[in-house]
Parts: sequence; structure tokens; C-alpha cells
Amino acid sequence: MELKKAVFIYTAFFALLSGFGVAGAVAAEPIKLGAVYPLGDITGDQGVKAMKLAVKEINDAGGLLGRPVELIVIDDEMKPEKGSAAIEKLATVDKVDVFVGGMASGVLLAQIPIMKKYQTVTVWTGAAYGGCEKALGPDATWFFHLHPWDYQQGESYVEGWDAITKKFPQVKMAKQFWAYEEGAFGTGSFKASKLLFKNADIEGESFKSAAAGGGDYRAVLRHAKEFSPELFIWVGFGADALPFMEQSKEIDFNPSIFLGSPPGWPSDFGKSPLADGVTLYGMWAPSIKEVSPVSKHFWDAYNKMFKEAPATYFAPLAYTNVMFVAAGIKKAGTLKKEALIKALEETKYASPLGETLTIKPSNIIKHQGFTKQKILQWQNGVQQVIWPFEYATAKIAYPFPNWKKR
Amino acid sequence: MASLIIAAALAFWKPYVLVEGIQRSSLYAMIALPMALVLGIVGIVNLAHGEFMMLGAYFAYWLNVHFGMDPFVAMFPAFLAFAAIGVVTYLTTIKYVLGAPELSQLLLTFGLAMILQQLANLAWTSQPLKAHLGYVSASAAIGSFSFGIFEFVYLAAAILLLGGLLFFLKYTRLGQAALAVGQNPRGAKLVGIHVDRTYLLVFGISIALVGAIGAIFMTRHSIFPLVGGAFTLKSFCLIAMAGMGNLIGIVTYSLILGLSESLVLSLRGYAGWADIIFFTLIAGVIILRSYQRQVR
Repeated sequence: MELKKAVFIYTAFFALLSGFGVAGAVAAEPIKLGAVYPLGDITGDQGVKAMKLAVKEINDAGGLLGRPVELIVIDDEMKPEKGSAAIEKLATVDKVDVFVGGMASGVLLAQIPIMKKYQTVTVWTGAAYGGCEKALGPDATWFFHLHPWDYQQGESYVEGWDAITKKFPQVKMAKQFWAYEEGAFGTGSFKASKLLFKNADIEGESFKSAAAGGGDYRAVLRHAKEFSPELFIWVGFGADALPFMEQSKEIDFNPSIFLGSPPGWPSDFGKSPLADGVTLYGMWAPSIKEVSPVSKHFWDAYNKMFKEAPATYFAPLAYTNVMFVAAGIKKAGTLKKEALIKALEETKYASPLGETLTIKPSNIIKHQGFTKQKILQWQNGVQQVIWPFEYATAKIAYPFPNWKKR
Repeated sequence: MASLIIAAALAFWKPYVLVEGIQRSSLYAMIALPMALVLGIVGIVNLAHGEFMMLGAYFAYWLNVHFGMDPFVAMFPAFLAFAAIGVVTYLTTIKYVLGAPELSQLLLTFGLAMILQQLANLAWTSQPLKAHLGYVSASAAIGSFSFGIFEFVYLAAAILLLGGLLFFLKYTRLGQAALAVGQNPRGAKLVGIHVDRTYLLVFGISIALVGAIGAIFMTRHSIFPLVGGAFTLKSFCLIAMAGMGNLIGIVTYSLILGLSESLVLSLRGYAGWADIIFFTLIAGVIILRSYQRQVR
């Protein structure tokens, strides 16, 4: 009898324990975010780090809906086929709740058919190419695009320069020379901008980027010098950045505004004395932390966690990505697709990029986040915001300092 | 004589075409010469040639950033380090495909190129790196014509390399042995030359040279894992034009190509034609050579 009683008590005890265990396991089932980024590139590397920071902050604060958040990262190596395979795996093997991340437009183009197959809620940081928007179509209500499309970027540059020339009448940019890399990126940017800057006298010429085996820009720089532009802009890649400055100095080319527009700058570009006075476009600059408390918090937390400074706007953008999804899930109170989409549509998130993220329709898709780039300038080794004026951290340094007077 | 007349006309019409064309040619020649040495003597097309240069550039960059070593000093440790890398590469891979069909050799060196690119990607990521060297923007002026003078370093390096290699091949016992092996390996073996050791030596020298050239290359260019590929292609094309082992021919054809490219680039709006001119010239020379051979 005693034995039977003991067996009963033990059985009941273990049944209770295992019951709690099962219940505990259900409660602890994480909410899964599936991120795809090119980890070999600084955008992907720092983007993922920023996402890890956001996930840590969310989990430290108790998670979402009483569950922890788990980030699953796959490297797309900036290759379309790897990017689409990553989405397939995240949807079928990892069974994630939301797709996040993203950088290159070419990769997203390949991912779109797979995304359409699963229609998982997707909040994407990358891809500016308007062709992606066409590929998504108006019915992709599960897709939220945070990065501005190319035409939105172009419109914001026109708006920005209009505002700058009005506020600082000494700034002239009606005569422009565009040196653009001979691939689709450079040629497309030049053609689009020629349409946007209708009142400007624009000349342009292609060059072979270092990324495609080039690296000698002196011919195009000499042609620019002959044209004597007020604004000189080169549209190429990070590998062209410093050699462009060195060769401009070599041939003593001094436009009033020297603007570079690569998708990403080399992380140590600002350390070069040749960088001073170079204007650039971007969604964020470290100096925004001086005017935005959210940006300051992000900057400090990122530096503390990774012992390095964020050097690309993809870091605060990726952090925004996760925080925005988290705010949407909290608001929805569920992971059900329709409820989550509705909640994300209504979510307003004060982001470390400076602006508050809100969702509006763009030309084709219904869920577009940011629509503007900022105009920045390297001043004493620091990227300063010169437009929009509400986030400005410095006045425009004009004209670009003459090489001989440096 | 015709070349001198063309050069004089260019100098008068567009002097920068002449200056920048010579500088561009020298860069091509400097990089192609070690590849021509290997192809002429070992008889293998090293498709990883540009990748070894890329690694040499990273090595020099690392020495520059961590030890403050100027790239022109760093080229000496790079030479030694890449001599060792060349020897190891030969002993572990190249040696085993010397008697194999050419396609196998090409596949092997292509595979090596992929491995080196990915290793660089893992070690330094795809982010471009560029050393900050004030002297690379040095310029001079003759009247109103100002031009960059730093890239004459390439000219000096190409002349030194050509002179050094010709001296080595013609006036040293090792070089003469290498030349004999390149011309007739079986005959060279019969007269007592250690063919395998000669191949090892020549391959080691070639990789050492291209590693040191990487140090010169990184002074002016950004470096990233894929930076070498385009230069492998250009070097191979120059060798195809000049003929196997024709070192002087490499320099001559580099000059023709560099000046042609520079001339095309100087015409506003025709930059995209530079590659077309490059490959048309190559195709033309190869067809002409083939025709001449048939006529003979």
C-alpha cells in the first residue's frame, strides 16, 4: 500500500512537472524573425548587428506577447539565387513569422516570386530600384518597404537642393556634370536625374568603375573640368571614392560642389584629408545623434555592444526594421497576418534615422515607409547633415575647398 | 619611326593622352610580365595571377596600416612572402597538372582564383580598402598643361622588371636553364637540367613578383577581393597578342593598347568604346598572326 502510494505521488509529481514543462515550452516558443543580408558587405554586417541589438533590447524588456524574439540570419552574399533560396528556407524550414532585412535590388527581384508564394509579412530595408515595386505590384499588401524608391530619392534631392539654394543664395548648382559608372546603376541614375533637374544645364559621361576593372578617372575628370560645372557628381561604387578625390586633386579640378553618390562609402573615407567638403546623399549620419535622442540611444547602445561605431545607414535602418515590427506585433496583440498588417499600417515609430516612420502608399505598393534621403557633407572627418534643415547638424561648407589652398 | 611620329602628334594635339597612355601601358605591362614568364617557361596559364596580386596588395595594406610601412618598402617583404606562397602553390597544385590537358590546367588555376577571392572575402569582406597616401596625387606642369607624375612609377617598374627578367634569362645560369626548359623540356632534361626544380623556381619568382607588384598597385587603387580578375584577363590578352614568352612584345603591345585606350577615353562621349578597341585590337592581331602563319 505504502509502495502504491509512493508510486502515485511520484507519478503525480512528475506528471505535474512535465505538464509545467510543456506549458513552459509553449509559452517560451519564440517569435521568429527571418533576416536576409549580405554579411560580407558592411551594410549586411552592421545591419545584422543592429538587429541583434534591437532583439536584445526587446527580450530584455520581456519579449513580445509574453514570448522571446529570435532572429534567424541568412547570408545572401548579394547573389540573387542565394537570396531567393534564403527566403524559401526561412519559410519552410525555419517557419519564421516575419521576413526582415534586405539590401540589394537585384536580390529582391529574385526573392519576390518566392515571397509571393508564401505571402509572409515582410518588412524590408533595402532595394531602391523602382522595378522591384513593379514586380511586387499593388496586391502585395504583406510587403512593407522602408527604403525610399529611386524616384523618391531623386525627388528628395531636387527638393533638398531647391531648399539649400533658397536659404543660401550663394550656392549655385544650375550647371552640372555627372560622371556615372557605365553599368545599369550609374546610367539609370543619370537618366532619371536628367529628367528631375529640368532647369539645370546637365552634361554627363560614363566611366569604368574600379569594381568593373577600371580605376583611371582622369579622362572623365578632364572633360568635367573643361565643362566647368558648379556641381560635379560621380555615381559609382565605394572602390571609386578615394581614387576619384586623388585624381581630382592631381588634375586640379575644383567644382563648387563635389558630390559622390555610391551605395556605400568605404568605412575610413572620412579619415582622408581629401574627404573634407565632399557632399553625399544618405538616410543617416552619426551626427544625427546630436539632434535626436533615439539616434543617441542607438549610437551609444551599438557602440557598447559591438565596440565599433555604426558606419552605414543600414545599421539604424535595420534597428528600425526590428523595432517597427515589434511595435506592430505589440499593437496587433497577435501574429495573425491581417491583424499584423493593419497594426503595422497604423504604427508610428520614432526612428534613429531622425524621422518618425509611418506607412503610406507609394506609386504602386500600399506600404511605403521612408521617402527621403538626406543631403550630407564630410566636414572635418565627420558626416554632417545639411538638409533637411530640421535634422541639420551643420551649414553647408561652400564652395568645395580649392586643392591648392588645402 | 611611325610610332615616334604618332607619339609626337599626340604630344602636340593632346599631351595628356600621351602621358596617361604611357602610364596606363606601363601598369598593364608591369602586371602581365610575370604571367608571361610562367606561360613561356612552365607552359601554364595562371588564371589566379590577378588574385595573387590582390593578396599582395592586401599584404602591403596590412603592413601599411599596422606598422606604418610605406608600400614601396612593403613590396620587399611581399616579394619574400609571395615567393614562399608561390613555392607552396606549385608543390601542392601546379606540379600535378603540368602533363595534364590544358583544360585541366585552366580549371585548376581558375579554381585557385576562386579560392583566393573567397579567402580574401572572408578575411577582409568585400568592402573596398584604400590607403591614404598623399604622394599619389603628385602632379607637374609644363606651361598650362598639368599632369600626374606618380604613375610614372609604373613605367619605372615595368622597365626594371623587363630589364631584370631579360638579364636573368640571358646572362645567368639559372635563367639560361629556364629558357632551355621553356624551349624544349625534354632536351633540357637530357643535358642535365632539373626541369621540375626550374619550373618551381620560375613559378615562385612569378608569384613573388606579382605579390610585390600588388604593393605598388595598392598605392593608387582601391583593393577588394575581385580587383585582380580584370587584370588577369588583360594580362592574358596581352600575352595572346605578343606570343608566348615574348617579353618585349608584351611591353610593345601594352603601349599600343594603353595609348589607344587613352586616345578613345579622351574623346568625350566615347569612353564606352575603350573596351571595344581593346578587344578589337587583340582579335585583329591574333587573326593577322594566324594568317601570316598560313601564308608561310
